[in-house]
Amino acid sequence: MTQKNINPLIELRDVVKNYQSEAGVFPALKNVNLNIERGEFLGIIGKSGAGKSTLLNMFTGVDGLTSGEVIVHANGESVSLHSLSENDLALWRGRTMGVIYQSFQLLPMLTLAQNVMMPMDMSDLYHPRKSRERALELLDMVELSEHAHKLPSLISGGQQQRVAIARALANDPPVIVADEPTGSLDSITADHIFKLFEQLVQSGRTIIMVTHDKGLMPRFSRHVEIVDGELFDNDSFPMKGKARMGEDRK
Amino acid sequence: MRPRWRKVLSDLIDNKARTLLVVLSIAVGVFAIGVIAGAYVIISDDMSISYAANNPANIELRMDDFDEDFLNTIRKFDGIKEAEARRVFNIRARPLGETQWTSIDVVTIEDFEENEVNLLTPVSGKEVPLKNEILLEQDVLEKMDAAPGDTLEIQLRDNSIKTVYVAGVVQDSSTGAVDFLAPPLAYISTDTLRLFDQTELFNRIYATVETGQDDDNHISVVLSALKEKIEKNDYEVGRTFRSLTHQHPLETTINAVLGILMALGVLIVFLSSSLIANTLNALLNQHLRHIGVMKLIGGRDKIIFKMYLVLLVAFGFLALLIAVPAGGQGAYGLAQFIATKMGFSLLGYRIVPIALIIQIAVGLLVPLVAGFVPVINGSRVTVQKAISGDLAGESSEQAEGGANRESRFEAIQFEATRILADRGIRIKRPLLISLRNTFRRRGRLILTLFTLTMGGATFISVFNVRVTLHEYVESVGNYFLADVTLDFDTPYRVNEIEQFAMQDPRVTYVEGWTFSGADILSIDGTTADNVSILAPPAESVLVEPLMVSGRWVQAGDEKKLTISEGIFDLYPDLQAGDYLPLKVNGKEESWEVVGIFKFINMEGILGYAPYEYISRDQNMANLSFSYRIVTEQHDRAYQEMMAEDLDAYFRDHGFHVQEATPGLATLDSAAESLDILISFLLIMALLTAVVGSMGLAGTMSMNVLERTREIGIMRAIGATDTRIITMVLVEGLLIGVISFILGIFLAVPFTYGLSWIVSTAIFETPIAVVFTPMGYAIWAGLVIVLSTLASVLPARSAARLTIREVLAYE
Repeated sequence: MTQKNINPLIELRDVVKNYQSEAGVFPALKNVNLNIERGEFLGIIGKSGAGKSTLLNMFTGVDGLTSGEVIVHANGESVSLHSLSENDLALWRGRTMGVIYQSFQLLPMLTLAQNVMMPMDMSDLYHPRKSRERALELLDMVELSEHAHKLPSLISGGQQQRVAIARALANDPPVIVADEPTGSLDSITADHIFKLFEQLVQSGRTIIMVTHDKGLMPRFSRHVEIVDGELFDNDSFPMKGKARMGEDRK
Repeated sequence: MRPRWRKVLSDLIDNKARTLLVVLSIAVGVFAIGVIAGAYVIISDDMSISYAANNPANIELRMDDFDEDFLNTIRKFDGIKEAEARRVFNIRARPLGETQWTSIDVVTIEDFEENEVNLLTPVSGKEVPLKNEILLEQDVLEKMDAAPGDTLEIQLRDNSIKTVYVAGVVQDSSTGAVDFLAPPLAYISTDTLRLFDQTELFNRIYATVETGQDDDNHISVVLSALKEKIEKNDYEVGRTFRSLTHQHPLETTINAVLGILMALGVLIVFLSSSLIANTLNALLNQHLRHIGVMKLIGGRDKIIFKMYLVLLVAFGFLALLIAVPAGGQGAYGLAQFIATKMGFSLLGYRIVPIALIIQIAVGLLVPLVAGFVPVINGSRVTVQKAISGDLAGESSEQAEGGANRESRFEAIQFEATRILADRGIRIKRPLLISLRNTFRRRGRLILTLFTLTMGGATFISVFNVRVTLHEYVESVGNYFLADVTLDFDTPYRVNEIEQFAMQDPRVTYVEGWTFSGADILSIDGTTADNVSILAPPAESVLVEPLMVSGRWVQAGDEKKLTISEGIFDLYPDLQAGDYLPLKVNGKEESWEVVGIFKFINMEGILGYAPYEYISRDQNMANLSFSYRIVTEQHDRAYQEMMAEDLDAYFRDHGFHVQEATPGLATLDSAAESLDILISFLLIMALLTAVVGSMGLAGTMSMNVLERTREIGIMRAIGATDTRIITMVLVEGLLIGVISFILGIFLAVPFTYGLSWIVSTAIFETPIAVVFTPMGYAIWAGLVIVLSTLASVLPARSAARLTIREVLAYE
């Protein structure tokens, strides 16, 4: 389902996600509403098991929802993510969203340059020669051009995460989604990565980052907390019903 | 290169062991099919060309002695193109200085240079023997160690020993082809006849027909007319044979045998495809995270499907690189082996296009077909499942709503363990883990068990079929129960021979037999075939027939016979009690068929009638040329010694002994031919076993690889190397044992099926199936060894991993 709309960039409308278990139904997300504007650096903060990654999977369309809707207004079209087929979603995600995981998720058999080229290859947005040039530029941006032809196993964790960022930027997507990107890095490396995100936000991108580290709160342009599947704004009130987070900002 | 293809290339070369396993699995099947298909084509083409190149006689007549003038009248007979005469007689020969005699049929050729029918192909030495020289057919060399330039000792009827010089070795694809149980051949010119104390007369005619050389009906009509003319000239014709120019007499049998091998080849391809499916399933499982990542960054099902399809084609291509050259060589090797055994030449090594096409098709299609489902499933997996690794499935079953619940097997296992524990029987924890691990990947386990069980069942069946065939040959031996057959050149009184023989204390019993022959007439009165009639005494104890219907011969039977099943080819509805039109000694008569018995149909139609009637009919009452002698012991060595002793004994007393043969000699050569077939079947069975054990090895490697983290955890909590190795070995052995138990049952229908196919092809009749524990015992040992070998490498690699490595494993 597509519709012409400009703002906000992402809308979560009454999103509910339940998991079935032997013990019964487990509600991972409880009627979540959230609007995300362009150029925001949004932090979603919560403890382990609070539902942060589940929420992130709703943005990326990686996981299905039980009820509600996620609409993304980007690249001149509005897309209700969960109405797309898995295939259409893959192509849409490849062109619209860069995804970064805590565990980097690089393909171990490909060099850093080839890993960065992969999204361009999958989306057919760039000519192979052009995609190579772009991959090297992106690696240069994350200060890894001298390692372009190495395999991921030969570089450090922080360097691998920078490659993941370069890969996320490959198709020049308007949104970057990051799931605990600094979770497995030491504090100095984590700071480097965070600075890289800040640069990207300054250059006009929207970044949604999930973390358990409350210490990072001041560095986000906005943050929300998630507790047991419920979202709380900065004043610790659950965000339900029509009171969508972000609407106050307009 | 685009990153997606770079990934495919890396998948192909990074995990060399896995690639090798998949490639070898495909290659085994492609190789087997290539060998059989190639050999089939080479033999079909070359056998007929090679056979025809020697201008084989369409008609062979074994008859009374005749001279050159009579041969000239045959040559002028209507419908005959070429006719040549030979004198064929049996001798015993041995290389100078050796003790072991070999029975040889000597063929006298009037003029080697003018020879036009049944041409000889030179192998080594001279092509034309001079006076007192002999050429040996290459089959002789299998029985004795002789070469051109050697001297042979020949024993004549008067016991005198002469020597001949071996001038050369030749191949004769025509003369002996009709009778593959006959002794090997040697050739002399008429100049040498006198040395052998033979008259310069002929006793066989080899002729070709003018037209219709490949038309059996036409040849039959010409033969029938020719035989009639010969008999009108007062010559008696013993046996007649017909052959087509472009069809080796054993072609149908060889093709049937190759057909059986082809069926086993197809089975190997089938089994290897299940192995490929298993390996590809595991590969896709290992690649799920990669697939998830690719989908996360824009990869669609179609792209991922294409990538893995190319990987499959690459596996197939690599397998072809191994299997095509090996299969080509194997095909030629197999064809060469069969050609040597059957006495014809091949036209040289060549690539057989149809075999190549079949190999390429099988090599590319089998991985595509076997891998299609795993690849489709892999490409359709969702990003969520792929990234989270939530598709192991393991043994747990999905409850409604997606949560895991305890599987039925787990429930049974826990309950069984509890019951045992309540009774004080505690299964050790590592053994319990091995048991559980065995059944965790049920799909993989089923495919592995299927491959290994099919391999085992085939292996066991081949042994059963081997015993079944030998048992049948032995039961056919019940028609020839005597220990020594003593043939004379002239008839002697039965009493006289009996008295003489019984003077040797080792001789326990003697029977005088006689023989006759008759033409079997078709409904229109023409000769359809011959029947050799053996005439033992009616109360003979030396024949234990396998009756199909009716009764055995009885004293008082006149113009009555029992006949072998081969008669059904001519008279399919014949029953005991029916009358058969025969031509006996030139007279058309009607004989009652009192019984029908089983026999090797390839040996022609055989009949039995009582000695009392046949000898009287031949005016030879109480006389016989041929005697069956029973001795104290019945083994082959004893029989050979007795044959030699009796031969010498009778010769010493002035009897004209033609030949003394041990009773098991004919059976042994029949058994030898069967062993060739069995060895091929065993090779194919071993290939199926190899595929099965490759499947097990692959499964164990995959299981260990997928449980790397678990192994790490176990090591972290104190499991020693030995314990880890034992757990993996027990799992492999358990799979081996389960497959063995299943194989025991599956081998029963396999044995019946294979026996039916083989016996119908070889003996042209179904035979009683016999089971032997040997195949079961060997397979039990083999499956334990194979299971251990298949598990030992994965187990060692599991034990070698450090805790840090395995816990860091993704």
